[in-house]
Amino acid sequence: MPRWLRYGIVFGIATLVVVLMLSFRRDPHDIRTGTVGKPAAAFTADRIEGAGTLSLSDYAGKVVVLNFFASWCPPCKEENPALVRVWERYRTSDVAFIGIVYQDSTDKAREYVRANGVTWPTVQDGDGRISFAYGVFGPPETYFIGPDGIIAGRHIGPIDEATLITAIDSLRPRATR
Amino acid sequence: MNLSFADVGTGALRAALPLAIWGIGAAAYAASKRDGRALASARWSALITFLLVVLAALAMIGALVTHDFSILYVARNNALETPLFFTVISLWAALEGSILLWTAILAGATAYVAWRGTPALPRLATTALAILFVMLTFFLLLVTTPAADPFVRSEIVPLNGNGPNPLLQNHPLMGLHPPLLYLGYVLFSVPFAYAIASLILGESGDRWLVATRRYALVSWGLLGVGIVAGAWWSYAVLGWGGYWAWDPVENAAIMPWLVATAYLHSVMVEEKRRLLRSWNLSLVIATFALTILGTFLTRSGVVNSVHAFTQSAIGPLLLGYLVAIVVLSVGLLLWRLPTLRDAGTVGAPLSREAIFLFQNVVFVAATLTVLLGTLYPLIAEAISGDQLSIGRPYFDRVEVPLALALLFLMGIGPQLPWHGASRATLERQFTAPIVAAAGGALLAVATGLGGAFAVLTYALAAFVAATVVQEFARGVRARRTLHGEPAGAALGSLLRRNGRRYGGYIVHLGIVLVAVAVATSQSKTVEVERTVRAGESFQAAGYTVSFAGLRSVSEPQRDVLVADLAITGNGADEHLRPAVLFFPNATQAVGSPAIAAGLRDDVYTILVAYDTSTHLWATIRVLVIPMVSWLWLGGAVVGLGAVIAALPQPKRREVTRPLARAPATVGD
Amino acid sequence: MTRERALILVALVAIFSAVAWTAWPREATAAERVDRITSELRCVTCQGLSVKDSPAASARQMHDLVVQRVAEGRSDDQIRDEFRASYGDWVLLSPPATSWSGLIWLVPLVALAAGLAVVFGRMRRATSTVTAPPARELAALRERVAREEALDLPQTDGAE
Repeated sequence: MPRWLRYGIVFGIATLVVVLMLSFRRDPHDIRTGTVGKPAAAFTADRIEGAGTLSLSDYAGKVVVLNFFASWCPPCKEENPALVRVWERYRTSDVAFIGIVYQDSTDKAREYVRANGVTWPTVQDGDGRISFAYGVFGPPETYFIGPDGIIAGRHIGPIDEATLITAIDSLRPRATR
Repeated sequence: MNLSFADVGTGALRAALPLAIWGIGAAAYAASKRDGRALASARWSALITFLLVVLAALAMIGALVTHDFSILYVARNNALETPLFFTVISLWAALEGSILLWTAILAGATAYVAWRGTPALPRLATTALAILFVMLTFFLLLVTTPAADPFVRSEIVPLNGNGPNPLLQNHPLMGLHPPLLYLGYVLFSVPFAYAIASLILGESGDRWLVATRRYALVSWGLLGVGIVAGAWWSYAVLGWGGYWAWDPVENAAIMPWLVATAYLHSVMVEEKRRLLRSWNLSLVIATFALTILGTFLTRSGVVNSVHAFTQSAIGPLLLGYLVAIVVLSVGLLLWRLPTLRDAGTVGAPLSREAIFLFQNVVFVAATLTVLLGTLYPLIAEAISGDQLSIGRPYFDRVEVPLALALLFLMGIGPQLPWHGASRATLERQFTAPIVAAAGGALLAVATGLGGAFAVLTYALAAFVAATVVQEFARGVRARRTLHGEPAGAALGSLLRRNGRRYGGYIVHLGIVLVAVAVATSQSKTVEVERTVRAGESFQAAGYTVSFAGLRSVSEPQRDVLVADLAITGNGADEHLRPAVLFFPNATQAVGSPAIAAGLRDDVYTILVAYDTSTHLWATIRVLVIPMVSWLWLGGAVVGLGAVIAALPQPKRREVTRPLARAPATVGD
Repeated sequence: MTRERALILVALVAIFSAVAWTAWPREATAAERVDRITSELRCVTCQGLSVKDSPAASARQMHDLVVQRVAEGRSDDQIRDEFRASYGDWVLLSPPATSWSGLIWLVPLVALAAGLAVVFGRMRRATSTVTAPPARELAALRERVAREEALDLPQTDGAE
């Protein structure tokens, strides 16, 4: 066996082992690539409660929290009380909450919204285009859009009150509390 | 005393561990000091350890069948409503049970080597036995510590368990695929142990190889059939109409199989011409290391895949085991490399030994490609933090040409003589196969097969089939001339007396069937998706699919929403019921396809979406997949060929008829 | 030319023609373009399946989006880039040949080349030097093997 092959094999195996050891640190369910830092995609969608549509542009200049949810999603139900509490705290200021229904029927979403005390506007993403534009992998996912219209951050999985408040506060530069 | 299954199981495993450790010492001592009593002690250790581990496995089955939810494993993988068959096979439904099964098989192999292997080759086999005991100790450590202890109790005993993963209680093949796979994986420990023993003892002969030839063939056959069974399960259960997605866990199984195939062929060169020694040792080490790597990838949670076993502490332990094995065996090999002299060299490129050498290279290249493709996302993320995917498009594109190269080598290898062939020989041997290849290519074009690779596959398949038929014809002719046997009996004799060779040819025919099935199904599948209301129908590739309606069915362990379909046309008259399954403990429903299988094509139906409120409409996806059944058939033929090749030759001596004239050709 | 050679030549021509016929580049139909693109996009809610293969709802929606974009006349790269902007390179099932990760396409070629280089190197050295070890060395090797095997024969004093 030629020398270069011998050393090549040893080097290759060593690299392999190092890589496998490093891979323990990561969580295979954590997929980070996405739309953070890019302008938030505009959309217009049908409201779940009441008639008519809602456009993202209606909230230009405000801090917008987009929450993707579904009635069949247990972690969405888990995170809902936190969302309700934070919404109560900020609803009279320049912060907007919008709920976006992910892969669910309007009827089931409406039941969920009424049963869980969701009072912020919710819309149906029937053909999935909004989810694709934002890079949603599955509910629950929450996106934070600054007043400049750029997606400042994203949270995958059920969110808690502290994370919500920290993220929102960081986006309110000239806060009028 | 009230003995529960958990007590029996835990006790048995904890008793087996010290026995295995004792076995290491006893076997090592017996090998180095040639001590008969130590060997006897090692043998009995092996046997009793095996019986204890089997007892533990039976205890787990007992716990599952009696729904003993005080055991965490049973609570997680079984429920009162789970049908008996799936309850029993839950033994391998999850991590801990699978490791227990692995340990049981390893203990069995150790016991077998202890009693049947050591009398024939005392020093070599006993050293190998010591190595097997070391491996067994590792796995016993796994099952007696929190890493993979199947008998861990839970403090709160639930009234009902979770039930097995919904995907694992759909299909009887779950009873076949994992055990076959594990048998294939674990039995490779034996050739590996013998190879390491041979290196440790500094032997310069080939005894280790000859002694373990049958083990290698049997494990290869079981692994191969297990992989095909897995592909069949995937096809029948996962509901996307395919059978191989280059999922990391699928790759984990095929890598050792590829290298093992190279090894099986390469040993023939060593047996015949005493060449390729270092290749064969490297291939055996690589095969075994890949089986452990495969287990690691499946169980450690570092890659996300269909199999998605939960993450546990077993990951670092398996990685450590893998590193230890690789470092020790590669180190031993490099140390002994100067003593591994080949008794000659491979000279002519067009000789049988050269073809085997080429196939070694191609198989290793194919395996390396799969390995790096599977691990590349991990590597890229470790280096740059970016996440990327490597999936079917990559693997299909790189592996298909390599597979075609292997098909080609498979055709010419057996036809070429050892040491080299003259041009006249080549022309005589290969005229008919090349003409057959042309026939295959034209058939491909005539039946509308798209894509150059599919056409090449048909051509090479015909080529290989023709060479195999030629070989059989030659063998039958020789037997008729020499022994006066009629053709049928001659065929039987060939398979019995020269099973290794002709069984091998049957394996090649099986591979040809698989290649043709893959090429045809990939190239000519027709997919139609329609949203229909009750009473409506649509066409798909000559079949008429009529939708009668949706209905709900309640089963003890799940609720089912069924779409009633009638398939007519093309001579078919079938009722298919694709469904969506709702399990109480799963958040999302699981799709269950309905398949009408046939030799010409399969009609594969999936209930993709439906009206959730009033069940008035349903979206049905129909795939008409030609020749996919030939894949399973091909797998069975490969298994049959392996069995024929592995059977011991009959020892009767024959009387040959005096020759009236010399035979026209002299076979090998 | 012998009969065999003629047959072989004709057969090879037939095979070559058949391959060329099927490999001839054709303008892909819209449906074929959709199939090609969706087979290279990863279904975001599945375990590694392509959008084309997956029956999941999100995959079907992605499929519909691709159909629309193809109908609008966007190129393959533009459509892929739209999904890459949202999901990163993760959503592509095979790395683009132009990026760093595109090096993975070289792996099989390098592996084959290295292997064949080793093999042909050995063969060339073999034909240029003596093809077998001298008989003396061979006999010594055989004798050594016989001695090792003799050491390992079952003992005759009753111990196994």
